[in-house]
Amino acid sequence: MTMLTLVFLLLLLAAPDAAAGPLDHPGYAKAFSCSACHGFAGNSRSATMPILAGMNTAYLKKALQDYASGMRPSPEMEPYSKMAIHLGVDDVAGYFAAQTKQPTPIAADAAAVARGRTASQVCVACHGPAGKGDPAKNVPDLTGQPAAYLAHQIQLFKADRRSPGDPALKQLKEVMKAVPDNQIADLAAYYSSLR
Amino acid sequence: MNVTRRQFLRTTGFGVAAVGALGGCAPALKGDFAPKTGKRVVVIGGGWGGATAAKYVRLGDPSIEVILLEPNKEFISCPFSNLVLSGIRTLDSMTFNYGRLRGHGVRIIHEAAGSIEPAAKRVRLGEGWLQYDKLIVSPGVEFQYEQVQGLREAGDRVLHAWKAGPQTVALANQLQSMQDGGVVVMSVPPVAYRCPPGPYERASQIAWYLKTKKPRSKLIVLDANPNVVSKTALFRKAWEAYPNLEFRGSNKVVKVDPGARTVTTELGDTVKYDVVNVIPPQRAGTIAVDADLVGADKRWCEVNHVTYESVKHKDIHVIGDSTIGLPVPKSGNVANAMGKISAAVVVAMLNGRPVPQMPPGNTCYSWVSDKEAIAVVNVYRIDNGKVVQIEQKLTPAQSPAVAANSLGWAQSIWNDVIG
Repeated sequence: MTMLTLVFLLLLLAAPDAAAGPLDHPGYAKAFSCSACHGFAGNSRSATMPILAGMNTAYLKKALQDYASGMRPSPEMEPYSKMAIHLGVDDVAGYFAAQTKQPTPIAADAAAVARGRTASQVCVACHGPAGKGDPAKNVPDLTGQPAAYLAHQIQLFKADRRSPGDPALKQLKEVMKAVPDNQIADLAAYYSSLR
Repeated sequence: MNVTRRQFLRTTGFGVAAVGALGGCAPALKGDFAPKTGKRVVVIGGGWGGATAAKYVRLGDPSIEVILLEPNKEFISCPFSNLVLSGIRTLDSMTFNYGRLRGHGVRIIHEAAGSIEPAAKRVRLGEGWLQYDKLIVSPGVEFQYEQVQGLREAGDRVLHAWKAGPQTVALANQLQSMQDGGVVVMSVPPVAYRCPPGPYERASQIAWYLKTKKPRSKLIVLDANPNVVSKTALFRKAWEAYPNLEFRGSNKVVKVDPGARTVTTELGDTVKYDVVNVIPPQRAGTIAVDADLVGADKRWCEVNHVTYESVKHKDIHVIGDSTIGLPVPKSGNVANAMGKISAAVVVAMLNGRPVPQMPPGNTCYSWVSDKEAIAVVNVYRIDNGKVVQIEQKLTPAQSPAVAANSLGWAQSIWNDVIG
């Protein structure tokens, strides 16, 4: 290292840090419990845990409220949703909405993606041709989510085990019931592969 | 996270300083061997709590220098290590290096901290010392070998396997080498100890292994506590599949004799074994005891429920299994939560900002066979400066779905701690 480089580095070391830190977001620390499963800033790297980064605020709020009330059954998410609501659901959901989504790093099988693309016509009416959903109708963005998570949700819809009795999901469940079991993994792979 | 050019160069600058100070061997650690130039946090212990805290201080404020003292070169997860005993997973699958923590700009020194000098705000290391502005201590547990007669003298002939590592593999090998028809004895220490459901998950895994591979063998669980401490009904239900598992509550093991291959309980019963696993009684890691961070019981560290600052010494924050007083289990998930919270607190304090009031949460999975798991979740709030539980929820039954969730949890939380 030349002396000039060393001086340059020392000058940088001495420079004050003017940038605002993550603590400035009211939801940063309130979302600490979430990162154990959903990853830092909601960018899950796991096969089964959904990515929360960039998720529509209203959709995430409804999910947390449905988990907390027991309408959407989950022994893990019911207590954590109550905690998020206690801490301030707007701050928590707002924090994740403000994060940039990094799609799952788990690559989907190319043949399954191709089969899923063909089978995806049933999903387009609600989730759109790009799978990005429709925030105005609280329809979620499916792109880049881990395939195993998406497949599990389709199974829950088919068996009416996700939010049983929720009128908002009635039509979706009818569509999902028509999806053959051998297409579930293909659909999940396709939407997981979209960016 | 976006890393600015300034942050990157600053991190590199730290690297240059580290080479200068630590490039040589042990004698370099003399005097103040890494003079402090800005705000500095020293973290003692690179387990679930300490590694998380070190990473999250850097994420919260990259202008703070973070030095992590951890003698081990690899992080080995205790959660999931019971599955090594039944041969379902390898220890390698839960072993990680500290490389990605370095990527966050954490300076790691693979040496054990010698002692803490709270008044001088420094940590002794070899013949030298390190100054700190804030110290985060996450020393884990130490075993009270002296509570079981003959245990210290037994050395490696009686394994605890309660810190995942070589002993885990050695105990798995002993189980594999045992002849069919043998008797495995394991002891559970009195509360409080690391991972309340851990011994019962271990019992389930050993019973499953014996039932599957050595069907004429049996497992005797000698528990110092009157009943299963955690997820009681779910473990009892799971054990209906294991008639080879005999549970004896209120049977505290007080003596082990590896020559005669027997253990003796407080009641005076002597039980013969072919393979033994004694999980000894526990206290906070030795450095916490030596630094007078423990309470009158000389076992555990009492802390402020919001800041994790020791009630005995200012600017020293204690997290993880070595703490007592919060209504939380000594679990990896809680240590990870405390790591994040204490990091945010320390960052706020060093920047003169309001301290966040954040409670921890706990998720704890236990595998009861090769395919099925159970779980408990505890969530908390802060009420008048104290952590209180909002709710505890158990899975209704054991299932492969819970096991699948546990794999997702592990993948994510290992990344949160060390990724």
